[in-house]
This record gives sequence, structure tokens and C-alpha cells, in this order.
Amino acid sequence: MLVLSRKTGEVITIGASVTVTILGIDRGVVRLGIEAPKSIPVHRKEIHDKIVEINRQAVKTEFNALKKAISKARILLKNELQSNNVIEKKTK
Amino acid sequence: MNENLQQDVKIITPHFGELIIQNDQIFYFENGMLGFEDLHNFVVISEEETAPFKWLISIEKPEIGFPLLSPWLIDINYSPGDQYDIEKLVFFVVITLENEEGKMSANMKAPVILDTDNLKGEQIILPFDKYATNFIIEEKK
Repeated sequence: MLVLSRKTGEVITIGASVTVTILGIDRGVVRLGIEAPKSIPVHRKEIHDKIVEINRQAVKTEFNALKKAISKARILLKNELQSNNVIEKKTK
Repeated sequence: MNENLQQDVKIITPHFGELIIQNDQIFYFENGMLGFEDLHNFVVISEEETAPFKWLISIEKPEIGFPLLSPWLIDINYSPGDQYDIEKLVFFVVITLENEEGKMSANMKAPVILDTDNLKGEQIILPFDKYATNFIIEEKK
């Protein structure tokens, strides 16, 4: 791991397109300003990891289990009209 | 659009069997789905038996499918932010089964966005704390 010491207001560049600016340090909390192109998603690691975990769980869902769940849990679906899109839209 | 996919594609899925997917129904995810960064091409499948849920099926690995629901079916006031044109873009949230009793959760914080004009898709993480990653879809009392 590359370790760099930086003062408030100083910047780190990563490649040609990413910059990280140290905005401030206050009682153990560092505020970073990150500029990156849209193709490089920037996220807090714990949130990213949580979503990866949820996605991995979601792809295990079996069709029949979902079908069963839908019939069991009478879900509060507030606006059925919103759901008619994508495939229907594409095939018009 | 993915240049590798010029023609209609045949995929074989565990549940839906063999499907012929037209090129213009395939969405290109430059960054994949989170945790599935190597998968770039997806199709949304509707199936009457699980409506209004839909499935985001990987073209590269058709055994990979994410259950989806429109976030507005869960929260009619769902608001991902002004930078997204919710009239033009199609939004879904990923659904996870929490247990056998039909308890489900929706990842409201990381919606899947599809642009039907350029056939691009992405899963974003909303930068504010308003929406949960595991919002429980409540049963009707």
C-alpha cells in the first residue's frame, strides 16, 4: 500500500482522471473531495460491500420461491400502472 | 451498445428455458451489477406468474437473474434525485427474499436504471441516506 501524508487543501491524483482533495480533518474524521469520471464509481466501502452482498443474495432467488412469496405476502403495491414498461415498451 | 452483440441472442435460463433475445432488448451495463462486474449485458424478462416483478437476466450467464420491482410500487414518493429523468429512464430496485414466509426486502438505495434510448443500464448508489438497502416490503394489514 502506498502511504502518503497530506495537509488540508492538498491533492492526490490517481491516474489522469481522478483527484482526491483533503478538505479537512476534525477529531479523527477526514473529509475528502473526490473528482472522478462517471465511469469510475466512488462509494463508501461498507455501503458498496453491503450492496454486493444483497445482490449475491438476490440472484439466489428461485422463480417458484418468489411466486410463492408474492401469493403469501399481499404486498402493498401502491401503483400497478408504473410497472408496465421495458419489454412492453420495446416490443411496441 | 455492445458491439459484440450484433444479432439476436439465444440464451438458456434455468426457469424460462430457451429465450431468443432481440438485440434491441439487451441493455449494456458498462460497470456490471455491483458484485457482478464481469457481466455487461442484461435483459429484463416479464413473466405473468411473478408480475409485477420482473427479472434482470444476464446474457453472459443466464443462470444469474435479479428479481426486480418498480420502486414506485413500494414507495409512491420515491425520489432518486433531480439528475435522473424519471419520466424517461426506467427504474427498478433489486428484491431479496428474507425468509420462506414471503418476507421480502427491496434495495431502495441502489436502484437499477435503464435508458431505453441508448440501451444502457447501471446500478447506482444514491448518495444520500434517505433510502435503505434492505427496506422491508410490508404485508397488508
